[in-house]
Amino acid sequence: MDEKKKMPAALDPLKFRAAVYDQIAGEDVGFSNYSYWRSTLRTFFRSKAVVFLVTAVLAMIVMSIVYPIVSSVDPRAVVVDPRQWNLRPSMDHFFGTDSLGRDIWARAWYGARNSFLLGFAIACSDVGFGTLAGALWGYNKKLDPFFVELYNIITNIPSTVYLVLLAYIMNTSYLTLFFAMASRGWIVEARFFRNRILSIRDSEYNIASRCLGTPMHRIAFRNIVPHIISLIIMEAALCIPYSIGSEVFMGFVGVGLPVDAITLGNIVNQGRQSFTLHPYQMLLPTAILCLITVAFYVIGNKFADASDPRNHV
Amino acid sequence: MEQQRKQEPILSAKDVRIQFNLRGQILTAVRGASLDLYEGETLAIVGESGCGKSVFTKSFIGMLDKNGRVTGGSIHYRGEELTAYTTEQEWLKVRGKKIAMVFQDPMTSLNPVRTIGEQITEVITWHFGTEHEKAKQEAIEILKKVGISDAEVRYRQYPGEFSGGMRQRVVIATAIACRPEILICDEPTTALDVTVQAQILKLIKELQQEYHMTVVYITHDLGVVANVADRVSVMYAGQIVEHGLVREIFHEPAHPYTKALLQSLPQLGVKGHELYSIKGTPPNLFKEIRGDAFAPRNPRAMEIDFEEEPPMFQISETHWAKTWLLHPLAEGYRAKIEAEDAARKDKIVPDSPFDYSHAKKLLQVKDLSVNFKLGAKQFKAVDTVSFDIYKGETLSLVGESGSGKTTIGRAIMRIYGSNVEGSILYEGEEITGRLSREKAKDLHMEMQMIFQDPMASLNERAKVDYIISEGLYNYHLYEDEKDRERKVVAIMQEVGLSQDFITRFPHEFSGGQRQRIGIARSLVMGPDFIVADEPISALDVSIRAQVINLLNKMKKERNLTYLFIAHDLSVVRFISDRIAVIHKGRLVELAPCEELFAQPLHPYTKALLSAVPYPDPDVERNKILLTYDSRMHSYETDPPVWTEILPGHFILANRQEIAIYQKEIDDAAGRRAE
Repeated sequence: MDEKKKMPAALDPLKFRAAVYDQIAGEDVGFSNYSYWRSTLRTFFRSKAVVFLVTAVLAMIVMSIVYPIVSSVDPRAVVVDPRQWNLRPSMDHFFGTDSLGRDIWARAWYGARNSFLLGFAIACSDVGFGTLAGALWGYNKKLDPFFVELYNIITNIPSTVYLVLLAYIMNTSYLTLFFAMASRGWIVEARFFRNRILSIRDSEYNIASRCLGTPMHRIAFRNIVPHIISLIIMEAALCIPYSIGSEVFMGFVGVGLPVDAITLGNIVNQGRQSFTLHPYQMLLPTAILCLITVAFYVIGNKFADASDPRNHV
Repeated sequence: MEQQRKQEPILSAKDVRIQFNLRGQILTAVRGASLDLYEGETLAIVGESGCGKSVFTKSFIGMLDKNGRVTGGSIHYRGEELTAYTTEQEWLKVRGKKIAMVFQDPMTSLNPVRTIGEQITEVITWHFGTEHEKAKQEAIEILKKVGISDAEVRYRQYPGEFSGGMRQRVVIATAIACRPEILICDEPTTALDVTVQAQILKLIKELQQEYHMTVVYITHDLGVVANVADRVSVMYAGQIVEHGLVREIFHEPAHPYTKALLQSLPQLGVKGHELYSIKGTPPNLFKEIRGDAFAPRNPRAMEIDFEEEPPMFQISETHWAKTWLLHPLAEGYRAKIEAEDAARKDKIVPDSPFDYSHAKKLLQVKDLSVNFKLGAKQFKAVDTVSFDIYKGETLSLVGESGSGKTTIGRAIMRIYGSNVEGSILYEGEEITGRLSREKAKDLHMEMQMIFQDPMASLNERAKVDYIISEGLYNYHLYEDEKDRERKVVAIMQEVGLSQDFITRFPHEFSGGQRQRIGIARSLVMGPDFIVADEPISALDVSIRAQVINLLNKMKKERNLTYLFIAHDLSVVRFISDRIAVIHKGRLVELAPCEELFAQPLHPYTKALLSAVPYPDPDVERNKILLTYDSRMHSYETDPPVWTEILPGHFILANRQEIAIYQKEIDDAAGRRAE
């Protein structure tokens, strides 16, 4: 190696003396200002599809809330004039009218609102009860056999049979539907959260908290919940399309909501009856339904990916 | 050695620059590092974590992560320019076949769902096109070579059926299956126990001789370096700052960083005095580095170090260092600091040993057993262990992983419920079983624990303020919010953390700082007794020294008593008053620190002591490795008892063995008298 070439031309001899040692600068670490939530959100929104779908979902939620308030069109208004029946989409009726002359565009947004409400309600109850039960299940070893049996019993009954049976026993109503789906969804979530809680329960920082005498409720709220909050969000997002889909399915097998209830399931179902003659009556509401379910599904999965620190590159 | 110099290097890396694209920023992990490898030699690359050691060597076989690439310099291997390779096909000619790599964690390189035999056979057929049966024979041969007995049977087993050391042997077997010319070992023994580590190092040495391989070790353990290396390259902030023969590096280090690394080793420290420690961490390589990268952490840096990057200076034929200290203009300054060093060394006198004659028993453990249920089976993690801890001493508990040492610590901290048998007395009062709220509170105030992994033991989602205050909140140990804050700031200053850190999250700190947060969290309760569960094993050499110093300082200032759990005997010698050795859940020997080192009696203690790497190449190469096999005892007919063979020196032995040990003691005493 040629030293001379690398040397700066002139070196100041005075520079070869002790420099002032800066205590603070010496301690200054090369820490990266990594923040879990910031990185999660950045990874999440880096995908253009996610940005599009989140915007679409937000727009649809706003639309389904705002439309019923501002619009004067009554989604239940039956027209006697047969010329107003089965109209094709036009400027007056964006999605056309159905066989009773009801405006499908209006019905679609009322339906979307109701389906969203149902979906959110079920997601909240499933994930809410699921987290609570999962926490108990994961934290208390004595409860483990009980929950395992309960899980086996509930999940081994085919969901179709169970839903049909419940709809038969109780009257068909929003409450029945909510009850039917919420009564079995929580256990699946509980098992998921149980596994996650189990894996962080014995980590060193929890043992440290126990050594300090931290009471259980504070361990739960400061040590456990913040670590699984992103999972809770993800599970809730995945729960919504599932519940909306279930509602459509129940309508399909004929045990869903009464015919006069406006939900996406009912609209699609009614459109199905005249599908061969007037396909748009089913296709257009189905498109909204698909957009909602696919969007939530993709958002949920992408969020799960983004919340994994290994993907924070 | 001299012959080697005249040879052409087989691999020659020049001014290699490696950059990563990380979260939209450019990270320059390697900043112009150069390296020559000669046939048959062993080179060790040392440095703290985050200095680019692994990344540098990974670039030799094209295994950089997807977001990284070589952006400058050249890597010549046998006339081939490796930096010009772009496709996997090209790399496969070299990777595995000519240059193989062994990683720290064996499980990352083994497939858990295939038998180990298949995995080795596959490597052979893949690279040489050998037919299956023949490859299988070869694989069995190689398994035998790496010291796996019953190779035919083991061939059909899965990685899960092997212990950590055996797995590492299998990984070495796959690596050497293609007879590579260069074997790169990336921290090959860091995850292993000392006794296993010594065996693996021996194995690699033997294989190297047999196959005439060139071996590159990447490690931060200077004891390992002293044992294996012919030449050493010291890496800092993506550059090789010093390289030379192993003796030159250990005996005449030139770069301030090399000196600092060596000085911070507890083996070279003097009991009762501060260890030398390097403050801070390696620099953030996202930023442009000006001058000597080590200057900000070097209390004796010169002004020029902050302004100009030093060139490589040649010290001898084989020894080079990249520091301005070697410039003719710095001669005066160099002489001055050398004189200072010498003067300081002469002044240090070790502390006198702990005085047990007036010591009070603080904690008494009697016949402690801890059982765990593994499916239907019961598993005894700790088996009838008894010892006392005196007020003000440091008792170290040393053993391999899985020996039950952490379990003892946690049993004392009352983490386990009904699976604890026996009794633990703290200041004469029983603390196992259910306690009243008041009692539990008192114990939490008096006994605290420090944890091994500074990454896992802090709640990632809580601010430092909350982490340190956790205990204060639990028992409301403050008058008002202001008082709490004052207490937190006071303890942070005591452990050497700036009070500005109070609103930061744990991930913004280095390992050493995080460990200090953990220590502050325990000390804020004002405890008398601390269980330190391997508080330094997960840390870099330089940071170890900081934490050891802090623990010692706290002990003196607050008159603490420690139960120090460790697997590294070298650290233990520096800080403890007495040492207890534990093997498979049973204590086998307990003695005052220096007595244990001078006169170990139990064969397990002897084996453990012989395996500890010592950071001096001359000592390390002449040592004799002892092995321990528990089958040597005949405990069926004559069960062992925990006996006090000398005052304060306990041993687990049966009657026959006691007689042998007694004779050993008498012989040694006789020799000393002569």
